[in-house]
Amino acid sequence: MRLTKLSVLVVVGAAIVALAAPTHADPDTDFANQLHGQGIYGPLDYNAWLGKITCERLRNGLDTTADKSAHFALINLPRDTSTAQSYQFLAAAISTYCPDQVPILTAAAARHQ
Amino acid sequence: MHRPRRPRARSALRAGIAALAATVATTALPATAMADSTDDYPIPHRMIVTTCTTEQILAAARDFTPIYYERYMIDKHNKSPQVQLAAIDSAHYFYSLNPADRRAYSEQMVTNFADPMTAAWPNWAKIFFNNKGVAAKETDHCADYPPNDQSVWDWSPAR
Repeated sequence: MRLTKLSVLVVVGAAIVALAAPTHADPDTDFANQLHGQGIYGPLDYNAWLGKITCERLRNGLDTTADKSAHFALINLPRDTSTAQSYQFLAAAISTYCPDQVPILTAAAARHQ
Repeated sequence: MHRPRRPRARSALRAGIAALAATVATTALPATAMADSTDDYPIPHRMIVTTCTTEQILAAARDFTPIYYERYMIDKHNKSPQVQLAAIDSAHYFYSLNPADRRAYSEQMVTNFADPMTAAWPNWAKIFFNNKGVAAKETDHCADYPPNDQSVWDWSPAR
C-alpha cells in the first residue's frame, strides 16, 4: 500500500501550497473544502474530529510516520477511499490543524524517493 | 346504480384484509427469528463473550472508533482522579468475569440505580457497552493489541 514517489511528492507539494492558502474564520470549513477538492466527502464534524485526532496521534507519538498516520485515516474514512486520498487527508489535516507536523510529510517524501 | 357498488366495496374489503393478513404474516416471521436479540441488551453479546482485555478493547477503540474514544477520554478527564480509577477498576473487574457472570453483572447493572460507580459517572462504561457498532469494531480488532498496555487509559484529548 505504498504510494509511488511521484504521488507522495504531489501530496506534500499540495500540503505546502495549502499552508500558504488564505484561511477563513472556521478551520473546520476550510478543512472540509480542501477535502472536497480531493473527492473526500462525509460529515463536516466527523472529518474535523478525525483530522484533529490525526494530529493528536502525531503529537502523542502514537503514529511515528506519515504512512502509519495515513493508514489510520484510511481505516476511518469511507470504504471506497483510496490510499492516495488517505495521504491527501493527512496532508490537509496537517496543514489545517498542526502545521508543526509538516516535517513528517517531507520525511515521507524523502523516504519514497 | 347501487348494485355494482356493493361488490366493489366487498372486494376492496377482502383485498384489504388479505393485504393486512400478509403483512401480519411477514412481520410475525422475523419477530420469531429475532427472539434472542435481547442478548445484546444491556451489554452487547460480543462484549459478553470476548476474550480480550480491557486495554485491548480500548486500543481497538482508539484506532477504529477514534471519535467515540476521544469523547470518552474527554469525559473521563473531566472526572476526579478517584472516579477515573474506580472506572478503570470496574472495567477490569467486568472483563475478569466469565460470560455467565458478565451476563449476570449486566442484569444487575440495569437494575441497581444505587451503584456508586454509576452515580459518580453514569457513562463510565460507554466505550464498552453502549453502542453495538462500536462494540463490533472493538471486538473485531482487539486481539491484535497487547493485553496490558495501560497507556490506552492515559490519552490526552485533542485541544
